Amino acid sequence: MTKTFKTLFVGLVFLYLYAPIAVLVVNSFNKSKYGHRWSGFSWTWYEKLLNNDTLITAFTNSLTIAVLSATAASVIGTLMALAIYRYRFRFKQTASGALFVVMMSPDIVLAITFLVLFIALGIQLGFWTLLLAHTTFCLPFVVITVYAQLKGFDAHLIEAAQDLGASERAVFWHIILPLLVPSVAASWLLSFTLSLDDVIISSFVTGPQYEVLPIRVFSMVKVGVSPEVNVLAALLLLISMVCLAVFAWFMKRKPKL
Amino acid sequence: MKPLLHFALALAAAAPLAAFAAGKVVVYNWSEYVPEEVLEQFTEETGIEVVYSTYESNEVMYAKLQLQNNAGYDVVFPSTYYVSKMAREGRLMALDPEKLPNRQYLDPKLLGKDYDPGNRYSLPYFWGSTGIALNPEEIEPGSIHSWKQLWDPSYERSLLLTDDVRDVFHVALSINGHSANSTDPGEIEQAYELLKELMPNVLVFNSDAPREPYLAGDVDLGMIWNGEVIQARDEGVDLEYVYPDEGAVFWVDSFVVPAGAENVDEAHAFIDFMLRPDIAKACVEYVGYATPNLAAIELLDEETRNDPVIFPSAEIVANGEFQTDVGDAIELYNRYWEMLKVGR
Amino acid sequence: MLSFRRLVISLTLGWLAVMVVAPHLLVLATSFMTADIQHLAVWPLSLDGYAKVFQPIYFDVFLHSLWLSAVATALCLLIGYPFAFILARQKPVWRNVLLVLMMLPFWTNSLIRTYAIKIILGKKGLVNTLLVGTGIVDEPLSLLYTEFAVIFGLVYILLPFMVLPLMASFEQLSKEYVEAARDLQANAWQRFWHIYLPLTSPGIVAGCLIVFLPAMGMFYVADLLGGSTNLLLGNVIKNQFLVVRDWPFGSAFSVTLIVMMALMLAVYYQANRLVQRKGGLDDQNL
Repeated sequence: MTKTFKTLFVGLVFLYLYAPIAVLVVNSFNKSKYGHRWSGFSWTWYEKLLNNDTLITAFTNSLTIAVLSATAASVIGTLMALAIYRYRFRFKQTASGALFVVMMSPDIVLAITFLVLFIALGIQLGFWTLLLAHTTFCLPFVVITVYAQLKGFDAHLIEAAQDLGASERAVFWHIILPLLVPSVAASWLLSFTLSLDDVIISSFVTGPQYEVLPIRVFSMVKVGVSPEVNVLAALLLLISMVCLAVFAWFMKRKPKL
Repeated sequence: MKPLLHFALALAAAAPLAAFAAGKVVVYNWSEYVPEEVLEQFTEETGIEVVYSTYESNEVMYAKLQLQNNAGYDVVFPSTYYVSKMAREGRLMALDPEKLPNRQYLDPKLLGKDYDPGNRYSLPYFWGSTGIALNPEEIEPGSIHSWKQLWDPSYERSLLLTDDVRDVFHVALSINGHSANSTDPGEIEQAYELLKELMPNVLVFNSDAPREPYLAGDVDLGMIWNGEVIQARDEGVDLEYVYPDEGAVFWVDSFVVPAGAENVDEAHAFIDFMLRPDIAKACVEYVGYATPNLAAIELLDEETRNDPVIFPSAEIVANGEFQTDVGDAIELYNRYWEMLKVGR
Repeated sequence: MLSFRRLVISLTLGWLAVMVVAPHLLVLATSFMTADIQHLAVWPLSLDGYAKVFQPIYFDVFLHSLWLSAVATALCLLIGYPFAFILARQKPVWRNVLLVLMMLPFWTNSLIRTYAIKIILGKKGLVNTLLVGTGIVDEPLSLLYTEFAVIFGLVYILLPFMVLPLMASFEQLSKEYVEAARDLQANAWQRFWHIYLPLTSPGIVAGCLIVFLPAMGMFYVADLLGGSTNLLLGNVIKNQFLVVRDWPFGSAFSVTLIVMMALMLAVYYQANRLVQRKGGLDDQNL
């Protein structure tokens, strides 16, 4: 394959990936609502978005869930990875299997399992069901990332600590955890992304009092052209680029030994 | 790590609690049915926060309420036959007439109907019709005047139908000369067979905002609700609205309060606010459906009051048929409907 | 005795038991129950749910959905394979940049991206404007609310998921095999067929797994781009649970999806084992 062909091909793929979003972003500045013609630069839709309380609330809710579930998943997932790495216990294979099933299942199947569970238990759909569901589907990714790093550990460090009389908890807290920071951070970020991007599971387990962004956007876009969604797309793209820059800076730091 | 944990926990606790701080009312409504300004005005005047979400069909609304055991929403807007159904199943709370003084403005002709005797559970919000829409730039205005014409094979993959089981079955039942409120399994099956032949002509089902595909130029002919035509006009596209020869579909959507509603007083305050003549007038002007509020009608300008799309003549209404309760037969309709939509 | 070890193990088992194992068992149980409009699912046990899966109308939707997802997966593979190949051979810095650029759209939420596709595929949208403007067609094409639109949307959302496992596969590929083949005068096609393809087959299967099954469940793509006339299995399942309320039938379809997933995983496992075997220097096919 020649160099030009390669560049052209990659360029085309990126064009395909970015063109639709670019159209949205450009139209967010378009004075006309329909975006078929350019009728002038304007911030109107940005103003409209910032005044759209329901949309802002939904966006805040989504962010809240994403932060909380990413954090919960990182904590629980790290402990799970630790358990699988370090301990022998009954049903260990089942646990690994369960995590694998969650990771490989299409969202719709997971969504159904959560819905059936919550209805069977009589739990009111809303904030907590959403949080539990999001945390759960992020878990496998955390476990895999953290486990991969654990496998590369120098076991001698841990042995040395134990020889010096450190308890399990101390070994984890003072030795293992500080070294795990890169993978925990990476899996937090991945969980955050997955939670923010989720549409299917949220559709099934959310309640009337806690609306998240995809649900609100779904109502808006089904009704037709929605310039506020264009603004949303532009803002989300901006936020993701900023976060990525932060993450890149973070990843440059080496783990302290 | 500790302060972060505390922060996270505080956030977790605050998030759902914050919602209960101010008085609020959770409203569940058809999409495009209340102008935003009205909701904002309500909050300004009463201090009650409005948590607003939408649905596109009675079935979705009903299923949601069932999943939540009739709780979670304070005001909902079912169509007539769902008011009956939900009342029968104990899913509705009886309205408190004392908290609704503005009901005096409602047209008595639309009260006390069979679907809710004495208006125990509901009060009408809007009534409207489902008819034919055509894009006059692509189709000769006046050339389409009957439902049956939609079956023309030249319209393959080009029609829009509203995503509503009763609307669509009404079309077939009236073509067959039967009542749109038929409970006879034979008649319903005949309608289903007729509709099967229509399916190849359908490009899209839409109940969120049926005007949208017309506006985008993807559809030029099909069904539509009358208010959507008015809203399309406001957005610069002049669709023609046709009341078909066989008779248009007429329906009424009403305010109800679900049995498990938490904010009952706020719900009544909201309904009473919506019954105010000036508020009802604002809604008509934005949404384009007919209000049963007589005082509001008097406040409207001549042009709106005489617009046949919003307020059809008595003859047109007599030629059509109002939707009403069909009892358990609705399950039969739903089953055929699913077969129609899935079997494409 | 509340030791740290006990706590961690209990947390692991407890969470997974309640949030994963129990729900799956519940769904399995529901699929064998009888549908009831009021109570969603009741005893007695029945095979009605599964019988309905095989009813012609629903089975047709299932097959049609399989078809749409298969085409989308194939397209993702056709585009994603060369893309991953090119990316994997870049210098690490450049490779990571390109990878990140590919993943960036994910933060704008799949729904917004699907909406973006809807905008550009409409009769007055970007694609038609270009086609008509450059004279390729005279009239705008009816692209929206078609199978094409659904497939277009699925590929758009799922392409990165195909690229990631493929890239991992390419990176694991030893350059030595390729060089050895070159030394033996193998041309590009032979190198592809005998070396790249077999050795990246786990990546290919993994990518297909991650794209094919989720594609069947993405009801919002069918809703926004298919006009509710091109249904995916996800639409049917969602309908059963949230509108029609035939939970046993919906559960039966979900179980069917899980079974398909298990079958595809078996294929993946086999492909992996094949690669482990072929990786030896005593392989005659080289």
